Amino acid sequence: MDVVIISEAGNESLHPVTAQLVGASSSIGGKISVICPGGIGSSEAAMIAGVSKVISVEGDCFASYDCMAWCNAILPFIDGDLVMTSSSAIGREISAAIAAKKDFPVVQDITSLNDGISVSRSIFSGKAIEEVGVSLPCALSVRANTFQPAEGGGNAEITTINVSQEVSVAVKEALAKAGERLDVAEANIVISGGRGMGDPSNFSHLYDVAEEIGAAVGASRAAVDTWEEIPHSMQVGQTGKTVTPSLYIAVGISGAIQHLAGMRSSKYILAINKDPEAPIFGVADYGIVATWEESIPALKEHLSAVMSD
Amino acid sequence: MAYEALDFYDIDSLLTDEERMIRDVVRDWVEERILPNIEDACREGVFPDEWRAEIGEMGILGAPLKGYGCPGLSYTAYGLICRELERGDSGVRSFASVQGSLVMYPIWDFGSEEQKEKYLPRMASGELVGCFGLTEPDYGSNPGDMLTKAEDRGDYFLLNGAKMWITNGTIADLAVVWAKLDGVIRGFIVEKEDEGFTAPEMKGKHSLKASITSELVFQDCKIPKDRILPDVRGLRGPFSCLNNARFGISWGAVGAAQSCFNSAKEYALSRIQFGHPIASFQLVQNKLSWMLREITKGQLLAYHLGKKKDDGTWIPEQISLAKMNNVDMALEIARMSRDIHGANGILDEYPVMRHMANLESVKTYEGTHDIHNLILGRHITGIQSFTREP
Amino acid sequence: MGVAVLLKQVPDTTAKISVSGSRVDESAITKWSISPYDEYALESAIALKESGADELVAITCGPQRASKCLTEAAAVGADRLIHIVTDADFMDSCTVQSILSSAIERSECDIVLCGKQAADTNSGSTGPGVASLLGYSCVGSVTEVSMDGGKLSATRLGATGLERIEVSGPCLLTFDKGEVELRRPNVRGIMMAKKKPIESIGVEDLGIEIGSPRASLQSHSSPPDKPPGQKFEGAGSIEVVVGKLRDEANVI
Ligand SMILES: Cc1cc2nc3c(=O)[nH]c(=O)nc-3n(C[C@H](O)[C@H](O)[C@H](O)COP(=O)(O)OP(=O)(O)OC[C@H]3O[C@@H](n4cnc5c(N)ncnc54)[C@H](O)[C@@H]3O)c2cc1C
Ligand SMILES: Cc1cc2nc3c(=O)[nH]c(=O)nc-3n(C[C@H](O)[C@H](O)[C@H](O)COP(=O)(O)OP(=O)(O)OC[C@H]3O[C@@H](n4cnc5c(N)ncnc54)[C@H](O)[C@@H]3O)c2cc1C
Repeated sequence: MDVVIISEAGNESLHPVTAQLVGASSSIGGKISVICPGGIGSSEAAMIAGVSKVISVEGDCFASYDCMAWCNAILPFIDGDLVMTSSSAIGREISAAIAAKKDFPVVQDITSLNDGISVSRSIFSGKAIEEVGVSLPCALSVRANTFQPAEGGGNAEITTINVSQEVSVAVKEALAKAGERLDVAEANIVISGGRGMGDPSNFSHLYDVAEEIGAAVGASRAAVDTWEEIPHSMQVGQTGKTVTPSLYIAVGISGAIQHLAGMRSSKYILAINKDPEAPIFGVADYGIVATWEESIPALKEHLSAVMSD
Repeated sequence: MAYEALDFYDIDSLLTDEERMIRDVVRDWVEERILPNIEDACREGVFPDEWRAEIGEMGILGAPLKGYGCPGLSYTAYGLICRELERGDSGVRSFASVQGSLVMYPIWDFGSEEQKEKYLPRMASGELVGCFGLTEPDYGSNPGDMLTKAEDRGDYFLLNGAKMWITNGTIADLAVVWAKLDGVIRGFIVEKEDEGFTAPEMKGKHSLKASITSELVFQDCKIPKDRILPDVRGLRGPFSCLNNARFGISWGAVGAAQSCFNSAKEYALSRIQFGHPIASFQLVQNKLSWMLREITKGQLLAYHLGKKKDDGTWIPEQISLAKMNNVDMALEIARMSRDIHGANGILDEYPVMRHMANLESVKTYEGTHDIHNLILGRHITGIQSFTREP
Repeated sequence: MGVAVLLKQVPDTTAKISVSGSRVDESAITKWSISPYDEYALESAIALKESGADELVAITCGPQRASKCLTEAAAVGADRLIHIVTDADFMDSCTVQSILSSAIERSECDIVLCGKQAADTNSGSTGPGVASLLGYSCVGSVTEVSMDGGKLSATRLGATGLERIEVSGPCLLTFDKGEVELRRPNVRGIMMAKKKPIESIGVEDLGIEIGSPRASLQSHSSPPDKPPGQKFEGAGSIEVVVGKLRDEANVI
């Protein structure tokens, strides 16, 4: 069985998830080829161990993203029983479109893969896990960071192909950068500060971290009530907003019952507080007993390291 | 957390799909627009004009009336609307009750064709606001003795007198005013601009603070001849309006009670005293179970009465019973819920004290609790005891 | 020019999900709603109709209860309602997409709107898959759309941020949540919707061949319990915790 991986680009180079896709598929066996749309990252892809062939598909149509144009351009080079992409927004679109064009079934956002092929994925916003059996040929998109990446040291042959493909989606203007001042009720990650931040100006440290991970910044009621600079729209809790992000980071917040009412259904909670007895630790999945002054710079540094690799 | 309305006997399953959809529209609106803003409105003592416009846009005013741009819904749907509004605040439900049951209804039932065409479509859309003037400073429970009077001056009627405690008065574009013409109670439509008519607001209420309450003052107020409601004479006019409004209140009170119950339950589960959630103590559980019991009975009463209204098989005494019972249980639940909240219960962070204070008015208006008892007493015994005269 | 909107009925996002006998217990789900991203698609479809599209066709595929989605769509302005009734508890992507694309062909719409993914499975396969089968172009993660002569102008969430794009010819747009406010149905709309007929058709009426399923549901299970809370001393532990956030909790 041959595997075709459609690589993911990030910042004009190969996204690390591509090596994870190779890692995931190596357990199933078969020849692995990687297609790099627009040629981005093809030389890096060639160095992933286990890759037997890299096809760099280049052409004007890759200048901006047009799902159908991209898929039509790479379609002739997809020669395998298993097509894999990452489960990013673009990855999902491409695996779905390729699957439909080739009359393959597609399963998205898988987190485990067994022979056979059966895959498991989370449904109902994480409230259940679904195990699906798929027959080959098929397409799969894979959640980032759930599979071990393949190692480096490979040396696959790179074939460059120039294609010309009509596009029908034209980008007219860039409007705004993604992720500006997210609302706490909407964000997937929330970092909130409490009275323990000492001064409203110290919230800038939380904004720094938030920027790193695309989080929204929230606050406890004590922070909102004490400091005019912290608006009520940031308040999390019984009389503020109820949030259910996948990660809630509470910094200098004691964990009063009214605060918990607004955030305890978050999937994961990380608490940073200098008082080991603070009730917030009772609901935290990860608790760090330390002051924010020591921890926030380190948090920023390590998050930024994780985000960029 | 999404609002889960207490529905222990699954009365929901008895509703039609449209009734459920209408309920959800009103429920979502209350959630988005009333709950986040009601405390501000109460503090400032205003009924925000956007609420009027949005209630109009939802198309729920004059719910059970048919034709003339009115929705033509079932009485059950009308009840559900009242319940959802009052779960937000009794003042918001009052606005809709007065508009629909006390002003649109008498025009619809007793008005001339021209009056219906002129007022009803614009009232259904919320463009025009109405108020209902029956109570006077000296005549509350016995409106039959009212002093306000109208004189026929050939080309026009001349109105003199004063009404008191009039919901929506100051913000109203028109008032349905009950006054005596040659000793007989008649209904008149007075417009905001009419000469000799003023509607000063009554301030200082501890209850229904987000509802406007006013005096209506008529000093040689001249109104055109075509503004009398042609088709009704005597107390039957105002009383038939009250029947519809009271029906809505019997549902509305359930909404206020549901809100107080939810708040009490959540608070009791999260408040820890003596090392345990207070919800784990039997005395608190007794209160919660009493609330559940009373709300469930009240819901069944209201639901069945709605069916009887739709079938036309109701009698006014049944409405008296429902209004009296449901407001009484809601008020008791509000007080009990306030108690469960401890000191927190007096804060405007929780809805309970607001509901409690509101329900005191609801107990008094549209026939006091006592008056409904007298109505039922007369029904049971055949002996009236409103007055000592035979 | 007609606009079709694809609506999926899903358990309300606040609903509790419980698993019994290796299947999600549907009977325990008390509230079903239009999948949230589909609601944004519906809102934009109404806006397109208001700016001159001929007809707004709402399409759903699912069990009998799913017809409620269509009535809700009618209450805010959908003209025609198509329900492909199926009781299958699991359909592979090929089946869903061929059903929906033949329903769209039947509706004769050349603009199709849907959510970027459904709130139950969160897959996001339907839009691009259906576009492929129909041979339409596809624009994902759209937050707003307007009609500009024969062209559609849309705002989408691209990899580098919001961008305005133009697309010509038949196309399918998938919607994300944007600034657009969803309209509330009003009572008049609800009462009119009640009278609007739903074209309720079986898969066999579409005249398509559904092959044997190529993906099948094996089981549902509850997510593994979270590990008990872990406490660390001092800022030195940050590196370890960040690693756990990534590898254990999988949230960054
Ligand atoms: C009716 C009602 C409604 C309420 N609604 C809400 C609500 O919606 N939201 C809400 O948040 N609260 C609400 N409250 C208030 C709530 O009870 C608490 O008072 C509030 O949450 C406390 O905020 P805090 O944790 O920031 O402050 P504190 O309780 O003062 O806690 C500060 C914490 O910071 C820690 N700290 C101090 N210095 C540092 C440092 N340098 N580094 C790290 N940690 C440090 C301390 O150890 C302490 O644990 C409500 C209260 C009532 C009565
Ligand atoms: C907020 C608010 C809004 C209102 N809105 C309107 C409105 O829009 N339009 C309108 O016309 N009116 C309105 N009212 C007035 C309301 O209908 C009257 O307050 C009500 O009818 C009672 O009249 P009263 O206040 O004069 O009390 P009274 O009639 O003086 O009663 C005082 C007490 O005596 C009791 N009582 C009276 N008679 C008897 C009896 N025979 N036997 C035993 N007990 C008796 C009553 O039950 C009560 O406990 C409103 C009132 C309030 C508080």
